[in-house]
Amino acid sequence: MMFRVENLHKTFGGLMAVNMVSFALERGEISSIIGPNGAGKTTLFNLLTGHLKPNSGAVYFKDHEITHFSPHRITRSGIGRSFQKTNIFPRLTAFENIQVALMAWKKKTRNIIEKADHFFQKETDEILGSLGLGDQKDRMAGLLAHGDQRLLEIGITLGTYPDLLLLDEPTAGMSPEESQKTMELIQQIVRSKNLTLLFIEHDMNIVFGISEKVRVMHFGSIIAEGTPQEIRANDQVQQIYLAEDE
Amino acid sequence: MIVPIIVLTGLIILPLFIPVGWISLVNEMLILALAACGLNLMLGFAGMVSFGPAGFYAVGAYATALILINTPLPFALAFIAGPLIAAATAIIIGWFCVRLTHVYFALLTLAFAQIIHTIVFEWYSFTKGDNGIVDIPIPSILKSITHYYYFSLIIIVFCLILLWLIIKSPFGKALQAMRENAQRAESIGINVRLYQLSTFVLSGFFLGVAGSLFCGFNKNVFPNYAHWGKSTEMLVVCLLGGIYNFFGPIVGSVVYLFLDKVITGYTQYWPLVLGLIIITLLLFLRGGIAGFIAERLSLRQRKGESDKIA
Repeated sequence: MMFRVENLHKTFGGLMAVNMVSFALERGEISSIIGPNGAGKTTLFNLLTGHLKPNSGAVYFKDHEITHFSPHRITRSGIGRSFQKTNIFPRLTAFENIQVALMAWKKKTRNIIEKADHFFQKETDEILGSLGLGDQKDRMAGLLAHGDQRLLEIGITLGTYPDLLLLDEPTAGMSPEESQKTMELIQQIVRSKNLTLLFIEHDMNIVFGISEKVRVMHFGSIIAEGTPQEIRANDQVQQIYLAEDE
Repeated sequence: MIVPIIVLTGLIILPLFIPVGWISLVNEMLILALAACGLNLMLGFAGMVSFGPAGFYAVGAYATALILINTPLPFALAFIAGPLIAAATAIIIGWFCVRLTHVYFALLTLAFAQIIHTIVFEWYSFTKGDNGIVDIPIPSILKSITHYYYFSLIIIVFCLILLWLIIKSPFGKALQAMRENAQRAESIGINVRLYQLSTFVLSGFFLGVAGSLFCGFNKNVFPNYAHWGKSTEMLVVCLLGGIYNFFGPIVGSVVYLFLDKVITGYTQYWPLVLGLIIITLLLFLRGGIAGFIAERLSLRQRKGESDKIA
């Protein structure tokens, strides 16, 4: 089993943000977590990547427990994460954004004397190219268009050579066409690098296209898990999403 | 690259052309420039706002002074010991400071610097308190103002080259990533606290070098080296020159001490003028002088590029 979560629990004061969540991911699986706003999706991610400490429960990655690891240790063990709010290095160039991730991951950032410019040029260009950002590489990341910044963020995550990719609303703020294109791009990258992908999405339509498995979160719990067809047919899920539309 | 070489050549031949009094001023500018560059490694490149750089500067100065006064050790050893003791102090203080962020971090650095100031100010039997340590013996060859100028110039250029290499290194890139977004830096596998502590210690070391150099330059050391006023001066120098530019603090130091010298010749209200300068900077020139120049140059370059494309 690639990744396993057991009875993860997190409360903020009296609020139960994540309630006894358990699930497992197979290697190479592309799956998603959906749910209305405030369902606890991002909190769950924060528990998985060490940004929050759970009250109880455990997280296993490749059969090792990583529950209380710090974020940088979790990255080192092979879990890459992107964030819901665009989370890049705005005053560095697009090239540097990805290069620094590669250098950090390969432990080259302890090097204090050599010039950084020539480190991982090929690898950086390759990642930029796969995201279609090759011609933007020398621009300040903060000046890129919103959609390109989102892609760059995924590029930073890819720079840490993850086996498991956790993407938090990778298409947030994009137009429907952009979203579609971005998800296809992500799918292509995940397949070609043989990664495992778990992503959070608010919008059901985006999810069903590429997920093999969908999990639905509501009030901190996973209330349904299955193929897109099964989820689409699930009455409870229908109700949640209908209630939200009203 | 051509500009620094011209400036360096200028600095080497400078004593042939200007009176000794002005050489002292240039020497002081260089020492302050080094201190400010040491601070700016934290401030501008790692995004750690320290209000207490003068603490490490004073530790460097006092360590060298106390060794020279109290022990028979040679000047070279006393001079090397200053920065090392400053760096060691930075390990201890930094260990506490990097546990905090933002304004809490800044205030803790200030608090520690004031502790250093208080120790130096009150511990008469060891540091001679507010009398300072005077008539520090330095080798006779360095007693000439011009000779000491060349001595400082060599040390400072060497340190600035080291700082330049650090900033351009993968480590330096990691610092900039941390400055831009510490959370993101952590999630690409950078141990933010450890890197901040390393920066703190490196910065303390270079501030210590500046302190030791000033100790030999002035041949007296006083508690106000550790005072928050001195820290503020270093911060202003960085802001004046531009914190996102390696050469910013150097430009800032030259302009600051030049204005200090010129304006105090006309009025005793130099702090008032300084206040106005700071306000102007913060409102209209956020990138400082060097930032402004760099922006103009790159605008011209980019315009050139687009001309080519068109």
